[in-house]
Amino acid sequence: MAYSLSLSLLYLGFLCGNGLVSARGSELFVPDPNRGPHFTGCRSREQETFRCWWSAGTFQNLTEPGALRVFYQTKNALSTSEWQECPDYTRTVENECYFNKTFTHIWISYCVHLRSVPQNITYDENCFTVENIVHPDPPIGLNWTLLNASRSGLHFDILVRWAPPPSADVQMGWMKLMYQVQYRVRNTSQWEMLDLVSGTEQSIYGLLSDKEYEVCVRCTMSAFKNFGEFSDSIIVHVAQIPSKESTFPMTLVLIFGVIGVMILLVLLIFSQQQSRLMVIFLPPIPAPKIKGIDPELLKNGKLDQLNSLLSSQDIFKPDFNHEDLWVEFIQLDIDDPAEKIDGSDTQHLLGLSRSGSSRVLNFKSDDDSGRASCYDPEIPDPEDMASLLPGHSGWGEQHPLVSRSSSSIPDLGVQQTSEVVETPVQTQPAVPSWVNMDFYAQVSDFTPAGGVVLSPGQLNGSPEKKKEEENEKKIQFQLLSDGAYTSENTARQLSADVPPSPGPEQGYQSFPSVAVEGNLWNGEYLVCASDSQTPYLLPEAPPVPILPPVSDYTVVQEVDAQHSFLLNPPSSQPTVCSHSPNKHLPAMPTMPMGYLTPDLLGNLTP
Amino acid sequence: MMKKTTVLQVCVAFVFCSPQAVIASADDCPDPDTGGTSCTISLEKLLDRAVQHAELIYRVSEESKLLFEEMLDSFGGVNLHVPSGTMCAPKTVSMSKNEIQQISDKWILHSVLILIQFWTDPLADLQASLENNENASSALLNRSKWMSTKLRSLEQGVLVLVRQILGEAGLLSEDPEETFDHIISSDIESVRRGYSVLYCFRKDAHKIETFLKLLKCRQIDKDNCSLF
Repeated sequence: MAYSLSLSLLYLGFLCGNGLVSARGSELFVPDPNRGPHFTGCRSREQETFRCWWSAGTFQNLTEPGALRVFYQTKNALSTSEWQECPDYTRTVENECYFNKTFTHIWISYCVHLRSVPQNITYDENCFTVENIVHPDPPIGLNWTLLNASRSGLHFDILVRWAPPPSADVQMGWMKLMYQVQYRVRNTSQWEMLDLVSGTEQSIYGLLSDKEYEVCVRCTMSAFKNFGEFSDSIIVHVAQIPSKESTFPMTLVLIFGVIGVMILLVLLIFSQQQSRLMVIFLPPIPAPKIKGIDPELLKNGKLDQLNSLLSSQDIFKPDFNHEDLWVEFIQLDIDDPAEKIDGSDTQHLLGLSRSGSSRVLNFKSDDDSGRASCYDPEIPDPEDMASLLPGHSGWGEQHPLVSRSSSSIPDLGVQQTSEVVETPVQTQPAVPSWVNMDFYAQVSDFTPAGGVVLSPGQLNGSPEKKKEEENEKKIQFQLLSDGAYTSENTARQLSADVPPSPGPEQGYQSFPSVAVEGNLWNGEYLVCASDSQTPYLLPEAPPVPILPPVSDYTVVQEVDAQHSFLLNPPSSQPTVCSHSPNKHLPAMPTMPMGYLTPDLLGNLTP
Repeated sequence: MMKKTTVLQVCVAFVFCSPQAVIASADDCPDPDTGGTSCTISLEKLLDRAVQHAELIYRVSEESKLLFEEMLDSFGGVNLHVPSGTMCAPKTVSMSKNEIQQISDKWILHSVLILIQFWTDPLADLQASLENNENASSALLNRSKWMSTKLRSLEQGVLVLVRQILGEAGLLSEDPEETFDHIISSDIESVRRGYSVLYCFRKDAHKIETFLKLLKCRQIDKDNCSLF
């Protein structure tokens, strides 16, 4: 009865596992029914005490207490003790021998004998060292905590904790324990064993939700093979997270699927209208913007248009202004008539050749000193007048007298010329007065072509006179500046206009003097010019003549040493210039109706 | 540049300081032969290291014993019933826990030292015999070598402990122990001897471990160790 009770107790202890320790040298608890009396096991729980159990076995007659006795002996390297009997036969438990702390020595070997004293038979012997029979008590305080759960909620991890058995003196270090955890699904047979851990906690991974697990732990002495019994198991159960999560992704998938299909349909519909689709999805890339320039133009690349456009943009300006600068630089100033310019005829030529801007050119010459002394500075320059004549575009292109000759009507010619010359004369404030125009054919008008219109001159009327004088002067200017020869016909015409005068100087003309190149003036000029150093006949820039009142014609009376014609000076002579001694020239022979050729001139010279 | 100079300074300092640090760690508990000054490592750390050493040595000895048994099984069923305590250290003292708790620190340290010094030679012989034996696995060889090395370092640590706990006067004059019998007659004998060495050494390693643990508990956590 007691025997079966002990056995059942032992079996209860094995709930959490097999509990059968088949380590070498350790004792089995299950008695062998086929054997005689034998030790079933000796164990120490804490390495401080130990117990031995035996059974009578088949010998049923030895089951009474006291029939079998236990004796033990200790052995060390030096000595072997006496056989001693079990110090304590446990009262409560049958066939147990208890060795308390004083009798428990470590590091020495014990031998226990099972003897029947009356027969003096040793039925069984068991030799061991205490540390080798240590089977620690199971750990206590097993509990678990949830570490984490998987996203799906199907798996979870737990952390299992326990405390060492109170009987084991771990703190002092008397025993160093190692623990082992095992678990299984409830009501199954297969245990999942984990590795030994030295600490008092262990984490278990990968447990399934909605399943109950049994977890228990046992311990052993470090580097020893004997495990203690398993602790009482605990039930681990994690309820699965409600199935919302499983359906949640499905709904999301459905929603996204529908949206995707809709997008595809929309794309299909809009793909029919390519342009709209392209516009929506691929907006046009903004082209480079230059103000006022069409990007298409850049692409097509018509260079002229591009240039024109770009030029308007101030991006690049063609150098137009250089010539203008040149021109402006060269521009001459005519405001001061007294001013002298270094330039000679060449400059005038240059100025004349210029078109447009150089209208106002100063024909001021590098003057003769005579001019400065003799003449009123207000006398308009003949050059100025000459330049304004229309025929001046080309030098010597067309001279009015030639044109005049072409025209049969002298009046017209004169008129024409007078017209033209009138304008510059108007600018000039002071007009020298022609005093006596008796011997001259009065120029009444100028043709537009440059011809001189002559008319019988009347000098008395002052306004008319003035006008006539002006006209005369104009003619003179033009003719002289042109440097044109007056043809015989023209001279005749001119002379024909002259009212008949008794003078023998009919045939004479001052004009032949004009035949000389340059700038011969009337007699007055010539007279005064005798004082000047420069010969009158020179074609250089003629000075402004101050023409004293003279008759229409003046006969060249004499030629002085300077090859100047001396004419009959009129009574009134406003000129200041000193008169050169008039040489008395011989009377001029009747001039032939023609040019005063240099031969004739040579004849005149004394 | 400032940065360069600072870097240089740091490097120089490191160069000068690092060997000192290395040397300091070695000279913290100088060699007993040189008669160095007291240890700069704390007693707690020393005891910790000693206990760790002893624990490891014991575990490795257990594994070595098992390996040796496997080897002997393959060798052909040699009867390995070792008579208990024949080859074990002569001065093995068996005592109960109470008795052990009552022994003094001095006694503990001395016992540990004696045990360590006793087992130095037998382990070397075991190593030699295993190297000669072609059946010996490399794991067994490695473990035996490791044990020898660790035992030597443990000896040094215990000496330092002796000097620290007991002072300079704590060192006893070395008692000449019975030297280990080096005579090896045959292969089987060598095998037997090897097994007995491992068997006994494992015991003594456990002893050393226990003593040192007790010592540590006493020195550091005095209240809890005074139970019983």
